[in-house]
Amino acid sequence: MAVTVLGISGSPHRHGNTETLLDSFLDGARAAGATVEKVVLRDLDYLPCMGCNACHKTGSCIVHDDAITLFDKILAADCIAVASPIYSMGITAELKGLIDRGQYLWARKFILKTLYFSNDHIKQHKGLFISTAGLSWDNVFDAAFPAITAFFNGTGFEYYDNIIANRMDEHGGIKKHPTALKDSFEKGQTVVRVLEKGKTKLVQKG
Amino acid sequence: MPIHVLAFAGSPRRHGNSETLLDWVLSAMEEDPDVTIDKIALSEANINPCRGCNACEKLNKCVQRDGMDIYHDKIIAADCILISSPVYCLGLCAQVKALVDRAQVFRSRKYVLKLPVVPPERKGKRLGIFLATAGQSWDYVFDATVPAIKCFYHVTDVRNADIHYLMINSVDEKGAIDHHPTARVDAQALGTMVIAELKKRLAA
Repeated sequence: MAVTVLGISGSPHRHGNTETLLDSFLDGARAAGATVEKVVLRDLDYLPCMGCNACHKTGSCIVHDDAITLFDKILAADCIAVASPIYSMGITAELKGLIDRGQYLWARKFILKTLYFSNDHIKQHKGLFISTAGLSWDNVFDAAFPAITAFFNGTGFEYYDNIIANRMDEHGGIKKHPTALKDSFEKGQTVVRVLEKGKTKLVQKG
Repeated sequence: MPIHVLAFAGSPRRHGNSETLLDWVLSAMEEDPDVTIDKIALSEANINPCRGCNACEKLNKCVQRDGMDIYHDKIIAADCILISSPVYCLGLCAQVKALVDRAQVFRSRKYVLKLPVVPPERKGKRLGIFLATAGQSWDYVFDATVPAIKCFYHVTDVRNADIHYLMINSVDEKGAIDHHPTARVDAQALGTMVIAELKKRLAA
């Protein structure tokens, strides 16, 4: 069975630097034989988490909207690539809104103890963070990583890699960046091969 | 002289821990008759996320028509801006992040169009207070919230040194902050101190 890769574009700006970098990753994954799907958050209809904590009792969110459908897709994928530009030293409000909605999974894991990801499962589920920033500062992505870590932990993915490029303003956009798009394509190919190998091993073991 | 305080209660949960912390600061501020307080719950403020269209770099205003139309002017008029947020997934809750990102219009004004955000005579006379609460006990649980908050204050002409912070961890369930040993006292002291400092600066 082919490796499934889900790309989540958290930029409100269609076909900008971050989404282009994500596309390159997805192209690489496709070239390596994966089944690829891309979801654009701005086209979905979902609320941010309302902090009601109802999920702490039930394990389910009381809000039924596109966020829940997307979490079903996320949980079914072998690899997810989450993409967001850096706005005000963090991920976009759209992506933060989605990540906060994963609270019901956290509740299942830590309060209700009805959800558990084995080490084998986590190893076979790879998450990547894809981002671009206009600024040249080396620390411009630092405050984005913790929320992404929380997201991958909650959904049972290993935080496999970052594909990040700053100095977009200086370079005049991702297409003029000397290496980023090529690197992203290659990382797309590599992760699919790694996951394929893992699947074969599990089958032999199983 | 009148002192205008603008307070954003960022949590989607009304009257929870972060909003209680905010209310304690405001209650101390309110004791001064010169202070007028405008408090807004972000969950009711109708502030959409930034669309990333960069139109504000040319138009000097946002193309979206929503709650931010009102708060844009209030942000400029305020002498003190408070923001409270719970920590969700190691960051600001999405509602606060939306507010921060919508300050892009001020960034465009300041750095692209090279126009003033506040009149020159008000520079250095604006203070900020960031209040946060977190369920986790980790001492680094607030780290990723601060850079985004600094961006907001930076583009709205509140100096880095003029941002005050009170961040309380290990408060999870609603009302947990009531039992915190120092939060209430610290919040009230902060409110009193900031108003005294503002009076000094506004009189100068």
